[in-house]
Amino acid sequence: MLFRGVLAGALLLSAGAVMAQQDLAVQQDNLMRTQAKYLYGVISRTVRGQSPYDQAAIDAALVQLEESVGKIATVFAVNPKEDVFGGDYGSSPKIWQNKADFDSKIPPVTKAINDAKGKIKDVASLKAAYTEINDRCNDCHETYRLKLR
Amino acid sequence: MARNLVLAVSVVAIVGVAAFWWLTAPLTIAQMQLPPRLSVPAKGLTVFNAAGCSSCHATLGQPDRTKLGGGLAIPSPFGTFHVPNISPDPVDGIGRWSEADFVTAVIEGTSPAGAHYYPAFPYGSYQHARLDDIRDLFAYLKTLPAVSGRAPGHELPFPFNIRRAVGIWKLLFLDGKPFTPDPGRSSQWNRGAYLVNSLGHCAECHSPRNGLGGIVEAQRFAGGPNPEGEGWVPNITQKGLKDWSEEDLAYFLETGTTPNNDSAGGSMARVIRNTSQLSAADRAAMAAYLKSLPAVDGPPRPPRPPRKNG
Repeated sequence: MLFRGVLAGALLLSAGAVMAQQDLAVQQDNLMRTQAKYLYGVISRTVRGQSPYDQAAIDAALVQLEESVGKIATVFAVNPKEDVFGGDYGSSPKIWQNKADFDSKIPPVTKAINDAKGKIKDVASLKAAYTEINDRCNDCHETYRLKLR
Repeated sequence: MARNLVLAVSVVAIVGVAAFWWLTAPLTIAQMQLPPRLSVPAKGLTVFNAAGCSSCHATLGQPDRTKLGGGLAIPSPFGTFHVPNISPDPVDGIGRWSEADFVTAVIEGTSPAGAHYYPAFPYGSYQHARLDDIRDLFAYLKTLPAVSGRAPGHELPFPFNIRRAVGIWKLLFLDGKPFTPDPGRSSQWNRGAYLVNSLGHCAECHSPRNGLGGIVEAQRFAGGPNPEGEGWVPNITQKGLKDWSEEDLAYFLETGTTPNNDSAGGSMARVIRNTSQLSAADRAAMAAYLKSLPAVDGPPRPPRPPRKNG
């Protein structure tokens, strides 16, 4: 009886651990998706002419992008050791092998966002800013982002 | 009797070694095979970007794409390759190479010393390049800064460390044919076909490989497991990209941003750094060609993300 109780407890605990890991992976994925929403869903679509140029939306997207980018280092503090179930992309374990290097990729993104503020007036200047910010994102994705399938 | 047997075995062995030596002889292109011509470094810059030279040859750990000191380590199922210095440095780079040395290296995969390069250097694609493009590229590389320093040697276990055996690989997987335009297609399509298949060497990563490391031709461009290790290389035939328009493809090659609001990662981030420097016309040509590739099923994709072991 005691044995069965311990067994059940152990099972529950490990299930909880799995859930926590999956939660963490989802949390990290969501942070990236939030940034994608502003950078790609708003800014890139405007650059491509798929959305009309809306200064207020652009300015708001930049502010929210910066806020979200500021959370990367903490949200990615712990390795979830698994990918989001059903996801096409994941984080490379290299993030946690070289966490300091990973973190060092973030300030250039923030700087690119800040440099862009107040300079965006039309699609042409937006495109220049987009290229500068997006290239800094890709610098990190090169090493730390995986296409899983 | 025993003497006859020894004799027979020796003869077979000698013939075998001679045949191996003959079959695996590295090919070269002599200067006299190159007609007199004034190379144009500015055109070579386009070749440099289309061929993605700096993706692998740029000095590691610094952002300047024109410093070609090498040093990148490329893992593979056969061992780890270390990318050499191709800056104009006379000692560590290609400063003392002749034009014929360079053309031979890129088109035939043979070093100035007459040894085979390993096909991690994508001459399987570059063999289809136009001679004039490679000559312009050489002229352009000569204008770049000399960088000193050498990469360490490749780390390859036996038998992959036998360079001469690469000659057999070349016999199996190279056809040695230059690109021939399809007269039934537009000039834009042909430009795209040339860039994708030759200089751009897209198939080198976007195709599955067999046990000997040769591209599985029937599944060319159909993606597969990442040869460099973790992750998956996408299918870029219409099987994988049917939802992408030509404009989507061109925009992706410019920015690395996908139509479903996502971004390129891994080695593709390095590729985008090159394709973003091409002309819009060249990107549109590549897009037009890629959009024309018939849907081909690649190796089965992993069903869902597997658990990681940290």
